[in-house]
Amino acid sequence: MLELIFVSLGLSCVAGALSLVAGKTPAASKTIACVGGMASAACAFIGGAGALLGPAVHASWSGPMAFASFTLLLNPLAGLLIAVISALAFVAWLYGLSYFDEYYEKGMGVIGFFMNLFIASMNLVILADNAFWFLVFFELMSLTSYVLVVIDQTEKSLRGGFLYLIMAHIGFLMIAISFFVMASAAGSLEFEAFRTSAFAPGVATVAFVLAFFGFGAKAGMVPFHSWLPQAHPAAPSNVSALMSGGMIKIGIFGICKVCFDLLGATGGEIGWGVLVIIIGAVSSVLGVVYALGEHDLKSLLAYHSVENIGIILLGVGTGIYGWAAHLPWLAAIGLLAGLYHLVNHAMFKGLLFLGAGSVLHATGTRNMEVLGGLARLMPVTALCFLVGSLAISAIPPLNGFVSEWFTYQGLIGAAMDGDIFMRILFAFAVVALAITGALAVTCFVKAFGVTFLARPRSEAAEAAREVPAPMKGAMVLLTVACVFLGLGAALVTPVVDSIAAAMLSVPPVPAVEGATLVSLDTASVVSPLALAVLMALVIAACALVRNSANRAAGMKDDPQTWACGYQADLTMETLASTVGANVKNFMGPLFAIRFTVNRAGAAVARLFSRALGLEKTAPSASKAPEPVLSRFDRDRTVGIAAAPHRAPALSHSVLSIVSDLGAWFSRMESGDFRTYIVYIVGALVFFLALIILVR
Amino acid sequence: MSVIVAILQAVLLVAAAPLVSGITRKIRAKMHSRTGTDIFQDYRDLAKLWRRCEVREGGSGLVSRAMPPVFLGSFVLIAAGLPLFMQACPVPILGDIITILYLMALPRFMFALASIDSAGSYTAIGGVRELLVGVLVEPALVLVLFVMAVAAGSTNTGFMAAATGSLQAQPLVAVVVAGVAFAMACYIEMGKLPFDLAEAEQEIQEGPLAAYSGPSLAMLKLGVSVKQLVVASLLVALFLPFGAAVDASPAAVLAGMLAYGAKVLVVMVAASIIENAVMRVRYKLLGRYTWFVTGIALLSLVFLVIGI
Repeated sequence: MLELIFVSLGLSCVAGALSLVAGKTPAASKTIACVGGMASAACAFIGGAGALLGPAVHASWSGPMAFASFTLLLNPLAGLLIAVISALAFVAWLYGLSYFDEYYEKGMGVIGFFMNLFIASMNLVILADNAFWFLVFFELMSLTSYVLVVIDQTEKSLRGGFLYLIMAHIGFLMIAISFFVMASAAGSLEFEAFRTSAFAPGVATVAFVLAFFGFGAKAGMVPFHSWLPQAHPAAPSNVSALMSGGMIKIGIFGICKVCFDLLGATGGEIGWGVLVIIIGAVSSVLGVVYALGEHDLKSLLAYHSVENIGIILLGVGTGIYGWAAHLPWLAAIGLLAGLYHLVNHAMFKGLLFLGAGSVLHATGTRNMEVLGGLARLMPVTALCFLVGSLAISAIPPLNGFVSEWFTYQGLIGAAMDGDIFMRILFAFAVVALAITGALAVTCFVKAFGVTFLARPRSEAAEAAREVPAPMKGAMVLLTVACVFLGLGAALVTPVVDSIAAAMLSVPPVPAVEGATLVSLDTASVVSPLALAVLMALVIAACALVRNSANRAAGMKDDPQTWACGYQADLTMETLASTVGANVKNFMGPLFAIRFTVNRAGAAVARLFSRALGLEKTAPSASKAPEPVLSRFDRDRTVGIAAAPHRAPALSHSVLSIVSDLGAWFSRMESGDFRTYIVYIVGALVFFLALIILVR
Repeated sequence: MSVIVAILQAVLLVAAAPLVSGITRKIRAKMHSRTGTDIFQDYRDLAKLWRRCEVREGGSGLVSRAMPPVFLGSFVLIAAGLPLFMQACPVPILGDIITILYLMALPRFMFALASIDSAGSYTAIGGVRELLVGVLVEPALVLVLFVMAVAAGSTNTGFMAAATGSLQAQPLVAVVVAGVAFAMACYIEMGKLPFDLAEAEQEIQEGPLAAYSGPSLAMLKLGVSVKQLVVASLLVALFLPFGAAVDASPAAVLAGMLAYGAKVLVVMVAASIIENAVMRVRYKLLGRYTWFVTGIALLSLVFLVIGI
C-alpha cells in the first residue's frame, strides 16, 4: 500500500511542477493541476484505505542527513488520515476544475504548484516516523498552505496569512521542543526509539502537554483559535475545505500519535485526559458562540471548525482518560467517537465550504445579509448545503449524529465509573456538548435560512445561477459521503473501532450488533439505518395524508407575504444579525469574555511596544464622519466590498507584538558592516564557550 | 407485542392530543370566568381547517412545504419509542435519551427554517426565539438526564423508567430533585405562560404558524399539541413510571395504559392551572427562569456526586 502512496506523491510533484511550467496558459495549467491532483488523490485514497485494517508497514532509508534516517510508517491510524485527506483532496480538485476559472489572473500555475505540494506534504507528515522529517514536512505543510491563504493578495488575506504563519510557528516551536525532550531522553530522533523507551513520568507529561498545545494550535482549539477564522476563509473555497476539513485533523492526529503511540510504552496520566476534555469543552462552546456572531458565511464555517475540534477532543480526551485509568471499554469508545467525528467533520465541513464557495462563485459575496432566496436559483447547492447543515447539527440519522452519540455514551459511561471529581468533570463536558448541539442548530438555521431561503436581498443574489457540473459533482460526492457515514454506520464503526483498538493495542470492544450500534457500559443501542427508514415512513405518511387533503380542498399562491397588515419589504426579512442580536440577549457574558481578553491583549501589546522603546504613531487626523447607516443598509451598499476594520482582537495583539519585535531587530540591523563583525565575533565566542562547557 | 404497543402509543397520543389541548382550553376559560367551548372544540377546529383551501405565501418554498409533516412525524416517532405503557422501551433503538434529544432537534430546525422561509419578520422572530428557548432549556434538561443516566446505569429511557419504578435509581434525593428540575424544564419546553401564549399567534411558539393555512396549518396545530403531550410524557415516563406494565402481558399493558392516561392528564391539568395562575412576563426575562431551573438541576448533580 505504501507503493501506491509513493505513486501519489510522485504524481503530485509532477502535476505541481508541470502546472507551474504551464503557468502562462492558465487553462492548461489548471487542467494539469486538477487532473494530476485527482489521479494522485485517488492513488493515495486506495493506499490509505488499504492500510485501514492491514498490519503496519515500515520503510526506512538512511537519508542525506547523518543524524536522521528517512523513516515512514503506514499504520491503520495513518491510513485513516490519508484516506480522509485524499478523499477531500480529490473532491477539492474536482471542484477546482470550474472554480479555479476565477483565479486565472492570480497565478494559476502557482496555485496548482502549491496546492499539490500542500497535499503531498500533509500525506508525508502523516507517514513520517522520524522526529526530524516530521518537523520538516510539518513546516512544508504550513508554508505551502500560507501561500494559498495569501493568494488573493487583499489586505484581509495578507493579515490572515501573516497571523496564520505566526501561530503555525508558535505551534511548531512547541512540538519541536516536545520532540526534543523525548529525543534527548530516548537518545535518538527515530519515533521507534520513543515508542520503545519508557520515559520518566515528568518527562512524559512535559512532552505531552507541549505536543498537545503545539498540535492544538494547528488544530485551532481555544485558546489558539483566533487565526483559524481569519486564515481559512481567505483561501480559495476548495482550499478552505481542504484546510478546515483536512489540515486541522493533522493536529488531532499529532495529539493521538504522541499520546498513544510515542508515549505508549510509558503509559498516560489521568490528568492528560482531564486537560484535553476541559479544552475540548471550552472550544466547542466558544467556537459555536462566536460562529453565531458572524455574518460572513465562510468565517462562520471556520468558527464551526473550532467547535468541531472541541467535540473531537472530547472524544479523544475520554479515550486518553480511559487509557490512563485502565478502563478498556472507555478508552476504545472515546477514541472511536473522536476518530469517527474526525472523519465526519472532514466530510461535512468540506461540503459546507464547497457550498459557500458555490455561493461566492454565483454571487460574488460571502456576506449573508445581502444574499437570500438562493434555494430557488441554485437548487443543487441548496440541497447539498442543507444536508451538510443537518449533518453538522447532529440531526439523526446523518453522520454527525452517530459520532456525537458515541461521544455522549463515552462521557456518560465515564461518569458512571468515576469518582466525585470525574463525575463533575464529565457532567460539565456533557452539558457543554449539549449546549453546543443546541447552538449549532441555531447557527445552521441562520446560515442556511438567511443565505438560501426567503427572497433575494440584492441584485447579486437575484442574478445567481447554479454552478457548473464539476462543482455540483464535488458537492454531491461529499453529500453522499455524509449520508453513507450516517446510514452505513454499522459498516463504518467496526473499521474505526479496529483502528482505535490497534492504537490501544487491545482487542476491539463490540460496538456493533447486526445493524445496531451498541454502547455496552451505558446499556444502550441506536440504529441510524432503522431510524432513517422509520423517519422516512412516518414523515412520508404524514405528507401523503396532508397532500391528499390539499388535492381535495385546492391550493392557491399568494405572491405577497403577510406581514400582519404592513406592506412587506426586504428589510423585514430575518438577517444573520437578527439571530445574532437575539443570541446576544442571553449569551452576553460569553461574548464579554472575548472583549475582556482582547482588551487585555491590546494592553500587553502596548506595554511590550513601550518596553522595546517603540512608540506607535498616533492614528492620522480624524477621518470624515461616516454617514449613519443602519446595519442592513450598510451591508446592502458596501456588503460586497471588504468588511470594515474590526476592533483589535487578541490575535492582532499577537501580531503587533511580533511586528514590534521585528522593528526592534531591524534597528539592530544598522547596515554598518562593523556592527555585523561584532555580531559574528559574538556568535563565535558564544558557540566556542558552549562547546567548551558541553565537553 | 412491543411493536403493537409502539404503534398503539403513537396512534393514541395523536388521537388524544386535541382532547388534551381542548381540556386545557376549557380550564383556561373557567379560570377566566368564561363558559368556553366544550373540550372537543379542537377536533372541530382541525376538521374545519382540513377542508379549507391552502394558501402558499410569496417567498416560501419546499422547506415550508415539508415542515408540517416533518414536525408531526418526528414527534409521533418519539412517542412510539418512549416507555409510556410499559417500564421498558417498546422499540429499543428509539429509546436512547440522546437519540430522543437530537430527534427533537429536527422539528425545531425545520420549524425555524420555515419561519425564515416565509420572509415575514413576525414569523421569523418567533422561529428564532423558539430556537433560543431550546438553547436555554438544554443545559437543565441534559444535566437532569445525565443524573438519571448515572443513577440508573443506562442512557436508555426504558432502563431509567424501570430503575425509577422499582426505586432502584440511587441516590434517591438526587433523583427527586432531578425530577423537579425536569418538570420545570418540560414546562418551559411546552411553550406556556409566563413566556408564551400559544393562542396569541405572533408570539414565540406559534409565530411561524402565521404563514400557514388549510391542511398544513391543521397538521401543524396537531403537531404542536402532540409535542406538548410528548414533553409531558417524557416526564411521566422517566419520573412517574408507577403503574406502567412491568411485563408485556396484555392485561398489564392495558392497566399501564390507563395509568398513563391518568398520570399525563394530571400533569397537563397542573401545567394549565399554573399557566393561568401566573402573569405574563417579557420574553427577555426567560433567561432568569432557565438559569433558576439549571440551578436546581445542578443541585441534583451535587446530590448525585455526594451520594444522598
